[in-house]
Amino acid sequence: MTSAIEVRGLGKSFGSVRAVDDLSFEVAEGRVTGFLGPNGSGKTTTLRMLLGLVSVTDGTATFGGRRYADLDHPVRHVGAALEATSFHPTRRAGDHLKSVALASGLPLSRVDETLELVGLTDVARRRVGKFSLGMRQRLQLATALLGDPEILILDEPANGLDPQGIQWLRQFIRGQASAGHAVLVSSHLLSEMEETVDDVVIISQGKLVLQTTLADLAAQAGTGTGMRIRTPEITRLAEVLNAVPVGWRQVAPDTLVIDGATPEWFGPFAVQHQIVLYELVNERGSLEDVFLRLTHGFDASHTVPGSGQSAPFPMPGGPS
Amino acid sequence: MTAIVRGEWLKLRTTAIPWVLAGIAVVITGLFILVYFLNHGAGGGGSGGGSAFVPNDWGAPHPGYPHTTTQLRDLVGRGLTGYIFALLLGVLIITVEFRHKTATTSFLVTPRRWQFVLGKLLMAALAAIGLAVLLLAVTVVGGGIAVVAQGGSFGSLLGQLGAVAPGLILVFVLFALLGVGVGSLVTNQVAALIICLGWFLIVENIIEAIWHGTVKWLPTGAASAAANVTAGRDADFGLFNWWQGSLLILAYGLVFAAIGSFVLARRDIT
Repeated sequence: MTSAIEVRGLGKSFGSVRAVDDLSFEVAEGRVTGFLGPNGSGKTTTLRMLLGLVSVTDGTATFGGRRYADLDHPVRHVGAALEATSFHPTRRAGDHLKSVALASGLPLSRVDETLELVGLTDVARRRVGKFSLGMRQRLQLATALLGDPEILILDEPANGLDPQGIQWLRQFIRGQASAGHAVLVSSHLLSEMEETVDDVVIISQGKLVLQTTLADLAAQAGTGTGMRIRTPEITRLAEVLNAVPVGWRQVAPDTLVIDGATPEWFGPFAVQHQIVLYELVNERGSLEDVFLRLTHGFDASHTVPGSGQSAPFPMPGGPS
Repeated sequence: MTAIVRGEWLKLRTTAIPWVLAGIAVVITGLFILVYFLNHGAGGGGSGGGSAFVPNDWGAPHPGYPHTTTQLRDLVGRGLTGYIFALLLGVLIITVEFRHKTATTSFLVTPRRWQFVLGKLLMAALAAIGLAVLLLAVTVVGGGIAVVAQGGSFGSLLGQLGAVAPGLILVFVLFALLGVGVGSLVTNQVAALIICLGWFLIVENIIEAIWHGTVKWLPTGAASAAANVTAGRDADFGLFNWWQGSLLILAYGLVFAAIGSFVLARRDIT
């Protein structure tokens, strides 16, 4: 397993603001690496430094040892989809791709191939200004794929995609990895990526928090499993639970969570004590919880930590 | 570089900019021809106002009145005033990339930014040649109709093309390069347009009014020299000869482009 992308001690200062600091990680061939961090954590700046769009203050960011600008045919090695706004609004989608293909010395047949690949064949003649955000994302992806590169860099590609689009994107990214390509895909939502990525690089406030495999991260998350119970008899349930050796905590006036419990254990237990249940949920500690814990819920663009999506109830002290 | 210019040409022709600019330039040149047509011979020596030679407003006002070589040369060279559009074309060709953030994609394709600027310079030069040829066609066809309607010879008009065309094409190319140079330095499209128009419509006139001697050093004076046309200028101003004028505009354009490339190479595209 060789590294397609190597980032070594990368740093970037915008005036007095340290956007990225001493960041090092690698992206392996044939694997999908999730580049995760809250909004404003330096993901986009890092990707733009990799691609030579933003100058590097310290360290290096290279593809097989060479900087992007030093690659002979950059778009044939590295495909990048950075933001959904960089199109001329009155240019037709097909013409946009053609201009990139011509300037890169690629055969024009690639235009139709990539349009087909991202499902935009029918709107190739339409002006990009009329495109939805999701269609722009697909067009960005098509642009990145024109040179049939072995390395793909995708910045928040799921933004603006509908659920079907996200499903399609996942399959697409997995397909790229299966073909032996290296994919670096950034996101501020781990939940969006957990079915897609093999490895994760987590950053927060411009610094590396963790580089590991998704399996490792999942193992960490697994420690938080339990049962979430909603019942009108919460006081009595608490009493009977205190008589058995399990940890539990109340998370709402009528709800509590029992650590490490399984439905197979709790079902008969509830019958035995004749407790009325309104809701019985197998609570798997989500990767998002781990992610939020690792990044301290820091989000430069919001004052409230986290999105609340993965934690339906406030959990004092958090799962342990 | 050929590939980059081919890409640039597709980018250029798939936006409205060149067509709108060319359209305005054609209309203005057409108006100049109309003015020539209506004024030709009017108030001139022999014909006298209100004579039988003026049948109505839209007919041939002064049939048979001779067209001097200078007049014919000026007529064919009417398109020269369109050089300002070559300049704007140059400015827009490069600043459009920043206005619509297409620069990100362009820099991914062409990561060496001096190559990006060079591609823009070449594209602007080619587009300027196209614009110049278009306006020459307008003056030859439109002017030809006017001259023939007034009893002149189309052949003698066409004969002036050789004297006018090289200078006009040269000036257009040089001003397009100047436009790219300015645009590479001032990437904000509106600001770049205001600077260019402000300079040529206001600032130059003020400088000329204050220091007559500087005219030959200004882009417009250099353009007049390059086109070998000193229309409307006092001979005392003393312009450079055509190649000195050309080198001067070229120098302006390339100095801007060089500084622009230097600045652009260090600029973060966020």
